[in-house]
Amino acid sequence: MHSFWQIFKKEMVRVLTDRRLVLMVFIVPGLSIYILYSLMGMMIANQLEGVQEHRIVLYEANMPDAFRSRLLARDEANDRQRLNLDIRALEDIDEDTMTAQLLSGDIDVVMIFDPLFMDAINDADNHAIPEVFIHYNYGRQQSSFGYNQVTQVLMAFREDILIDRLESPEQYLVFMTQTAPVVDERQLTGQGIAVLMPMLIIIFLFAGAMSIGPDAIAGEKERGTIATLLVTPIKRSEIAIGKVTSLAALALISALSSFIGILLSLPRLMQLEEGNTNLGIYGVSEYGAILLVLASTVLFITGLVAVVSAYAKTVKEASMLIMPFYFITLLVGLVSSFGQDPIQMPIVHIIPLYGPVNLLSGIFIFEWSMINLLIVIVSSLLYTALFIWALARMFNSEKVMFQR
Amino acid sequence: MDTLRVENIRKTFNLSRKQRKIEATDEKRKIAVDAVSFEAVPGEIFGLLGPNGAGKTTALRCIATLIRPDEGDVFVGPDSVLKTPNLVRKNIAFLTNELKLEDHFTPNYLFSYFSRLHKVPEATMLKRREALFSRFGIDKFQEVKVADLSTGMKQKISIAISLVHDPHYIIFDEPTNGLDVLTAKTVTDYLIELKEAGKVVILSTHILSVVEKLCDRVAIIIDGRLTALDTLQNVRSLAEDHDLETVFFDMVRESEALRHA
Ligand SMILES: Nc1ncnc2c1ncn2[C@@H]1O[C@H](COP(=O)(O)OP(=O)(O)OP(=O)(O)O)[C@@H](O)[C@H]1O
Ligand SMILES: [Mg+2]
Repeated sequence: MHSFWQIFKKEMVRVLTDRRLVLMVFIVPGLSIYILYSLMGMMIANQLEGVQEHRIVLYEANMPDAFRSRLLARDEANDRQRLNLDIRALEDIDEDTMTAQLLSGDIDVVMIFDPLFMDAINDADNHAIPEVFIHYNYGRQQSSFGYNQVTQVLMAFREDILIDRLESPEQYLVFMTQTAPVVDERQLTGQGIAVLMPMLIIIFLFAGAMSIGPDAIAGEKERGTIATLLVTPIKRSEIAIGKVTSLAALALISALSSFIGILLSLPRLMQLEEGNTNLGIYGVSEYGAILLVLASTVLFITGLVAVVSAYAKTVKEASMLIMPFYFITLLVGLVSSFGQDPIQMPIVHIIPLYGPVNLLSGIFIFEWSMINLLIVIVSSLLYTALFIWALARMFNSEKVMFQR
Repeated sequence: MDTLRVENIRKTFNLSRKQRKIEATDEKRKIAVDAVSFEAVPGEIFGLLGPNGAGKTTALRCIATLIRPDEGDVFVGPDSVLKTPNLVRKNIAFLTNELKLEDHFTPNYLFSYFSRLHKVPEATMLKRREALFSRFGIDKFQEVKVADLSTGMKQKISIAISLVHDPHYIIFDEPTNGLDVLTAKTVTDYLIELKEAGKVVILSTHILSVVEKLCDRVAIIIDGRLTALDTLQNVRSLAEDHDLETVFFDMVRESEALRHA
């Protein structure tokens, strides 16, 4: 068993001393994810801010002073209540121009009150119910936002008029409500993490394995360096073990790079999400379990990638043949992040890829069992052993190694 | 018992459609080596002489356990290439242009890497490396990546690396290909030394002068079959003028005539 270690070391040296590979495998994934997610976070934040900062252009006709003063009060507020308003008289703008300007964004909201609006309210018995026409453009965020805000003020205005008309406010209120929410902060945070993390983990691991596997095996076949290895007395199984373990270690480092990218960009990305994403909520047992799942899953993945790469004649062919498996992995990740609660049934955990992802989701929300962890580890290791056995046979087969 | 015995080996390749086009044949299978037997003994250089495509490399690949003969067997000492290929690999040096070195590494790194795979003790490795590298002039570029070296330099490194474990059986396929005359002589001189040290040396070539200068015994292989197997002296005497070239040409011509008949 000493030769497998030689292969392992050689593979590590091969990648770690090649500046181009180090860049490709370890730096680029993390960096690109960091940049992408930070940009995304910044853009979403900017957009939200833009909507809130925007000065709502409101055109009115016959707006009663009582209502106007309510709007102006919101305009002068200092806190989050503040509404940035620019109220103008509609006057001689005709209907077509108004619609055109709503569509172009020059006008956000138009409110047209009945000419005798306040008279009708003050003397309801002798007037028909007065109307307010509101025009807005729901294809523009600023317009929708302005519409929502002014209607809120309008509803409050109506409520107050109603309460005035009734003899006592209780008649209007009908009943009172009180809410007393409880929350387990850990669970709340965990739910958020469980949506994204298991999917990212599995995808990063696969992407890591995919970026080095084809070159390390199909590449050696293509370049003829595997033949040099095959005339030495090293056991084919040791070549297989050396290849799979070294690829697994490298894939793990590569995935780690992606995670660092995620963690660094998380604050930017998550400012909009509720609850904080503090990974400190997990204890030693969760992290231990996650690590064990990662280690066994990355072995499975690299085993798979290695077998496919050994079958392929060229690096290009290997990369192509791996694609379907990558899509399956993406699918498994998506299903887990948009599915319901993780399944606790033990048998589910023997399913390759799905089992580990399902277990990870459970771990992130503190709902997992030792037995399922054990099943994931043992089954992944069994599959890996199967892959290594197949790989050893392939190294022994002149058809697979030398057929042109 | 420390001879190398090739017993009636036969190797057939399936031809892909592309290969059939290249070979201009409708046959789905190509018999590359057909009923070949010979024995190479310690203290001699055994030459396998044949034109391009005769089956030399294929025969040597069978001996070196890279591919398995369909029929027959090869015994390297007591070990069969079919039954115990890993024991065979412990005792052979194999050189052929199909075996490439990884571009990214230096000769120094590769020498110790392959030494470790052969479980050569560190001290022995250092001594051997020093001797082989200075012998073949590799020491000048021992820390340069293989990628940056010339074809001849790579060939020299391949030779040195095939010998990391000081094996008893040396199987070299066209060892002087791509080498200049000076370097070629270094290699052939070294082969003679190995022979004198009592090793079994088999080399293949299509160059008559190499056979004349080096080989004690020679087998001529044409179209996968042995057409002669004897001492160099006796093979030469098959032609009236005792010229190896005449023997070789006659045999090639004869087989061509047979093929077109
Ligand atoms: N993998 C293969 N698949 C199909 N045919 C093959 C394969 N390897 C060799 N052959 C065929 O077997 C025959 C013998 O080839 P081989 O390489 O042994 O010849 P050789 O004597 O070494 O020739 P050269 O002097 O050109 O190196 C050739 O016709 C070749 O095309
Ligand atoms: Mg050849």
